Amino acid sequence: MSSTSQKHKDFVAEPMGEKPVMALAGIGEVLGKRLEEKGFDKAYVVLGQFLVLKKDEELFRDWLKDTCGANAKQQGDCYGCLKEWCDAFL
Amino acid sequence: MASAQLTDEELFSQLKRLGFTPGPVTENTRPVYLKKLKKLREEQQQRGSRVLKSRASTAVSTAVSIAAPRPSRHDVTQLSAIRKPGRKSSVLGFSSDESDAETPLKRKGLAKHRRITVYHQQLAGPTDKQNIAGTTLNSFSSPLDHQSVHESSRHYDESGDEGEEEPENPHSVNGREVTGLNKTAGEYSDSDEDGVLSPGDRERNLPEPRRSRTAAPISPSDNRDSQVKGKNSSPNPPGFRKMVRAEDEEVNGEELDPFGGSQRYARKSIYVSLAEQRGAKAGKNHFDSEDGAARSNSGARFSVGLRPRFSGYSSPAQTHNKGNHSNHSPPPNHAYSPTAPKKKLSVPEDELLLQFRREEPASSGSFSAHYLSMFLLTTACLFFLLLGLMYLRMRGSVEADGVIKRHPFGSEFDQSYAEEEKELILTLLLSLHNHLAVVAGQHDCGDPQHPNRSLSMNQSATYLQAQNQEFERFTLVALEWIIRTDQELGLRLLGEDPHVPVTDVSEISQLESTRPRMPFTCRLRKAFVTVGSKVLLVAAAAAMVWGVVRYLKFRWRRQEEETRQMYDMVERIIDVLRTHGEACQENQDLLPYLPIPHVRDSLVLPQDRKKMKKIWGRAVCFLSANESRIRTETQRIGGADFLVWRWIQPSLSCDKANPMPSKVWQGQAFPLDRRNSPPNSLTPCLKIRNMFDPVMEVGENWDLAIHEAILEKCSDNDGIVHIAVDKNSREGCVYVKCLTAEHSGKAFKALHGSWFDGKLVTVKYLRLDRYHQRFPQAQACSTPLKASSLRLSSTPSQQQTSSAS
Repeated sequence: MSSTSQKHKDFVAEPMGEKPVMALAGIGEVLGKRLEEKGFDKAYVVLGQFLVLKKDEELFRDWLKDTCGANAKQQGDCYGCLKEWCDAFL
Repeated sequence: MASAQLTDEELFSQLKRLGFTPGPVTENTRPVYLKKLKKLREEQQQRGSRVLKSRASTAVSTAVSIAAPRPSRHDVTQLSAIRKPGRKSSVLGFSSDESDAETPLKRKGLAKHRRITVYHQQLAGPTDKQNIAGTTLNSFSSPLDHQSVHESSRHYDESGDEGEEEPENPHSVNGREVTGLNKTAGEYSDSDEDGVLSPGDRERNLPEPRRSRTAAPISPSDNRDSQVKGKNSSPNPPGFRKMVRAEDEEVNGEELDPFGGSQRYARKSIYVSLAEQRGAKAGKNHFDSEDGAARSNSGARFSVGLRPRFSGYSSPAQTHNKGNHSNHSPPPNHAYSPTAPKKKLSVPEDELLLQFRREEPASSGSFSAHYLSMFLLTTACLFFLLLGLMYLRMRGSVEADGVIKRHPFGSEFDQSYAEEEKELILTLLLSLHNHLAVVAGQHDCGDPQHPNRSLSMNQSATYLQAQNQEFERFTLVALEWIIRTDQELGLRLLGEDPHVPVTDVSEISQLESTRPRMPFTCRLRKAFVTVGSKVLLVAAAAAMVWGVVRYLKFRWRRQEEETRQMYDMVERIIDVLRTHGEACQENQDLLPYLPIPHVRDSLVLPQDRKKMKKIWGRAVCFLSANESRIRTETQRIGGADFLVWRWIQPSLSCDKANPMPSKVWQGQAFPLDRRNSPPNSLTPCLKIRNMFDPVMEVGENWDLAIHEAILEKCSDNDGIVHIAVDKNSREGCVYVKCLTAEHSGKAFKALHGSWFDGKLVTVKYLRLDRYHQRFPQAQACSTPLKASSLRLSSTPSQQQTSSAS
């Protein structure tokens, strides 16, 4: 198992419920603010986008980069987090 | 991303056409899908030929320059087309110039590169402000339209330089390019226009770069010293520079052949002309190299001149033509860089071939360097040779002083004779000595003229007479003096009996020299012979030693080989015997021993038997001496006496016994986390799978052992009230009931994913009512079970066999 952050583990451990978008791995304050400005205020909205992009890694990363300017690591973290969550709970 | 006009459906369908199944195209996903579309298009076109790509951009730009009614679509393709080769150029850089087919692309890339940066800058700007609605897409697509139209026309100009490949397939390219945009008949009109336009444009555009290059050839040509180049280059219309250059090279190559620098020049120019990346600089190099070649013959410049081929920079050319052309080297470069030099595809290949053919005879490049080194080498050799000869000569010669300064006769001699008498005597002796030396030397050399080594008195007397009349008087006196002196003078006086020293002059019958002076050739010959013989001796000795060593090694290796074979045989015998012994144990009908010859014949193939005889013998001896588990004895089998082997080791059951530990917990396979276990324990009942294999279990109470094992594993958990082992289940199921869900959760964590007895155990929750249905006796259980023995026999630390994972 590759090393995952505590945030990742916390997020993936349970259904996300109403967690804010900043609870996603890779999304900190700055990126979270940007996403919120764009209307993605909750983690489940980002999940929605992820699912709309059919869980495609490349597309999601591109989207993330375009939307909030995430760098490659942040993109990867977020993608991995959501993917695992989906694997566990979807 | 100028295709705001590209509706969602169209984007969707285009993506589908490119083989990619997109999700819904919504406000949020549109930009992402646009990017994907572009990328897919680029990839597709990359897979096609690069010529096609350039064609596409040409065609598209033409279409745009005509102000097609669908600018947005063309923008997309054109921009993508521009973008793609631009990107390619930035990737390709200016690294290589091997393939000529790449030239159109590279030249395009050159031109496009600058525009691509502009494009990127434009793109970067609005992106920051891009909102979800994508309105900015619309906003900056329009300025980009203008830009792109403007740029595309320029771009097309340069692409017009391509060459004759251009008109060949505009149709196909345009079809491909534009198809994605629209399926109307408009695309055919586009391609027609392209087809029509491209030749016209090309012609129109061809003069332009040529004109720009006109300036350059003129300036260097003025400075050119070599009239050959001048007369060749100047009359040529600069427009056909590249092709002319090829001809130049061929012509110049032949004319300048005697020059010695021609080949270099030709090669340089070819290489240089093939340098694509900086076509302009290539041209510059061409001129530089021409002049350089014309001027000098130095080989160093030749090698330097070749370098520009790869770097395409004029700087090396400049460095070696510094004095002459540095002043006008930069300007032509700049003049060249925007306009790519055109050349036929076939011509550079011909040039290359020509150049390679010329390369073989052209060693003139290294002309002077080679000769210089040879000259130095020969000088050194000659020097050493002379040194050796002089040394030899010196050794052989005696210092012949005109005046004899020293004489070994002592002061007596000085006193008794007058000056000239002394001289006479001494010179007499000297000449006698020399003559005798020569005689002796010649005799030693086998000269047939002098059969004797020594000269008789008469002969010496006559000789001395012949030398000098005066000598006669002093002959005897001198000889007397020689007798009197004790020193070794190089003359030996022999009497009748060679071994008796001469004491009186009258006894002298032979005169011999003890220091023979041999002629030079003879000496040399002797020296050679001596040296040669010594060397031969040494060589022979070395060869002998080496031969001995080799032989020893060979012997040693063979012995090793044999020993190894013997051990191998021994092992095989032991195996055979052991298996036989074990078979005998199980099957009491077999004889517990095996005859030795039978073993041999079963182990050794018939064709090898003769070869292996020796090894077999050694193996047998080894076994009888060193192997304790085999006993050699004599038995009577079938009426004949045989030497047999008996395997006397009782079979070790532990050898064959499975190394798997029985009934031991062996660690956990994966850490339990939310992903692979339910977040909370659901029921107080667990079903544990894969704890045993009912077929393999032997014994009476293995289920109790399993009980124990489970209890021990969950020893911290005091809530297990009922355990039931389903003996007949093929899956090895064990059912556990706990007091509460919490206890079962703990047990779950402890058991799920663990290795037990080599099997991976899995646990899942069971509904309580079903459990009670199955095991009604469990309803009544409420006391926690404990492991009966405190020994904890199923935990790994107690067992010798280590835990496996």
